[in-house]
Amino acid sequence: MEKWLRIYSMKLCTKEVTLFIVLGIIILLLPLLMKSPYQMHLIIMLCINIVLAMSFAMLFSTGLITIGAAAFWAIGAYASALLVMNLNLSFWLALPLASIITGVIAFMLGSIIVRAPGVAFVVQTMVINMIIVQALGQMEFLGGWGGILDIPRPNPIGSIKFVSKTNYYYLILFLLLLTVVVFYALYSSRIGRAWRSIRLNPRLAQTLGINLFRYRLLAFIVASMSAGLVGSFYAHYFGTIEPNTFSVFKSIYIQIYGILGGLNFYLMGPTIGALIMTLVPEFLRIGKEIEPILTGGILILLVIFLPGGILSLPERMGSLAAAFLSRIKKKVSLH
Amino acid sequence: MAFLEVRNLTKHFGGLVAVSALNLDIFDSEILGIIGPNGAGKSTFFNIVNGFYPPTKGKVIFRGRDIIGLKAHQIAQLGIGRSFQASTLFMNLTVFDNVFTGFYMSYKEAVWMSFLHAPYALREERGAKRRVMEILEFMGLAELKDQIAYNLPHGHQRILGICIALATQPKLLLLDEPLTGMHLEETSTMLNLIKKIQNSGMTIVLVEHNMEAVMRLCDRIIVLNHGKKIAEGLPKEIRDNKDVIEAYLGTEEEFEPIAS
Repeated sequence: MEKWLRIYSMKLCTKEVTLFIVLGIIILLLPLLMKSPYQMHLIIMLCINIVLAMSFAMLFSTGLITIGAAAFWAIGAYASALLVMNLNLSFWLALPLASIITGVIAFMLGSIIVRAPGVAFVVQTMVINMIIVQALGQMEFLGGWGGILDIPRPNPIGSIKFVSKTNYYYLILFLLLLTVVVFYALYSSRIGRAWRSIRLNPRLAQTLGINLFRYRLLAFIVASMSAGLVGSFYAHYFGTIEPNTFSVFKSIYIQIYGILGGLNFYLMGPTIGALIMTLVPEFLRIGKEIEPILTGGILILLVIFLPGGILSLPERMGSLAAAFLSRIKKKVSLH
Repeated sequence: MAFLEVRNLTKHFGGLVAVSALNLDIFDSEILGIIGPNGAGKSTFFNIVNGFYPPTKGKVIFRGRDIIGLKAHQIAQLGIGRSFQASTLFMNLTVFDNVFTGFYMSYKEAVWMSFLHAPYALREERGAKRRVMEILEFMGLAELKDQIAYNLPHGHQRILGICIALATQPKLLLLDEPLTGMHLEETSTMLNLIKKIQNSGMTIVLVEHNMEAVMRLCDRIIVLNHGKKIAEGLPKEIRDNKDVIEAYLGTEEEFEPIAS
């Protein structure tokens, strides 16, 4: 018994675990550290962005690049708002339902567009995003370009009422965690391995018996469902939704979150990328007019100089240092 | 009955005839060599059998079942494995993970059991990992298991390509130019390995340019030229065949290149 305990505690006391626990406590107590509701709002938007970026990364893990993530975010938001306002459903029922509706729509659209990977897929997702924004704007019963106003807050659970930002924070934190757990389980399973093999070499993957279409469709559906889930949250958190929030611009931002963090890191990459892209412009107080120019510039610089993203830096530094050292060695041996 | 029957197989690429009215049989546990000049339709033949290209006409019957119209992954599931001409690997993965990915089809548990990390599914994956090591030991790559595929020398990459194909536990193995770009020592290693694979009870078809090696290795040889079969027989017979010598050394007319 004692021996087991010792082994167990030895395993637990690694650096990573300590870091993990400290980070976990900070994240849980974050509302106490924040000074203003505005800062809390930023953190909540950050969590939404992280989930959206993770959905982008999931499609990328199968070799698909989407510029349509915001479209499924919109579907989740509108579906949830309509379910609650027209059918008088509870938010807690509308939340999973909105995600499922998004998944069904993703299944229908995906069965058509996932067949053509590569540039065709990129353009198709972008066009779908544009069409959905246009459609939402044109349809009067969806509120037109003005959007839907006065979306009710989530129904209170017991004594917990959704008035303060803190409660919203814990709710989105839960949704983020749910996404991370489900995505992690997928990536570390046979499904994740099949996805990875499709991304690395689709032809070889096929000869191993992997059905490219089915696996890509699965990734498309799961990614869209997670976007729909935070869409539902967003609608009831923000209280109003309008079509232009979900424009292609947002999809491109989501893409930048993923690329900035590092596309080879399916969970940490989107987190780091969204963290930087959400918080840094705010702290620097960059105007909304200049922001697109700046982010566009960042994207170009990234693709040229750091295609692996920020998380690839340590490795890259390592290889640069190794190259530098070997050059010095050569010089020394020449003399 | 033959293991794989090819009947009247024809493939056009626009105006080009890559394979024309090809008939051939492959028998159980043999090594069949397919040779021919560049553009003779050898790789196209592989790509049709393997499901990458639909043929224009004709039938391919694998163990009594017509496989034309099936997708590449379905044909892989029926038991036809292949290696590729160039080093087609998962370059960023380790040698071990390359072969481990090849075990995709061997799991009996449903995919979602793996997603839930169910104990039985995990046990199955552990079993697959053991068998990865068996294959690597069989093919002599066990010591390199943690190397990234990209960093391997060419010869080892080719062997790894065959390891991945073996992981799918095929009944018929198609090897597309397994000896290209290898030096003498690598070639003889590869020849021994292919022989060893055959002895473990597999049927092998290989396309190759290295005549010397083909003559030594194959039980039977088929010669293609301009998409047609011009000769078939034992290595000894092929060596003395007039048409084959003509196809290789050329006659007055020059043959046009055909997409392969």
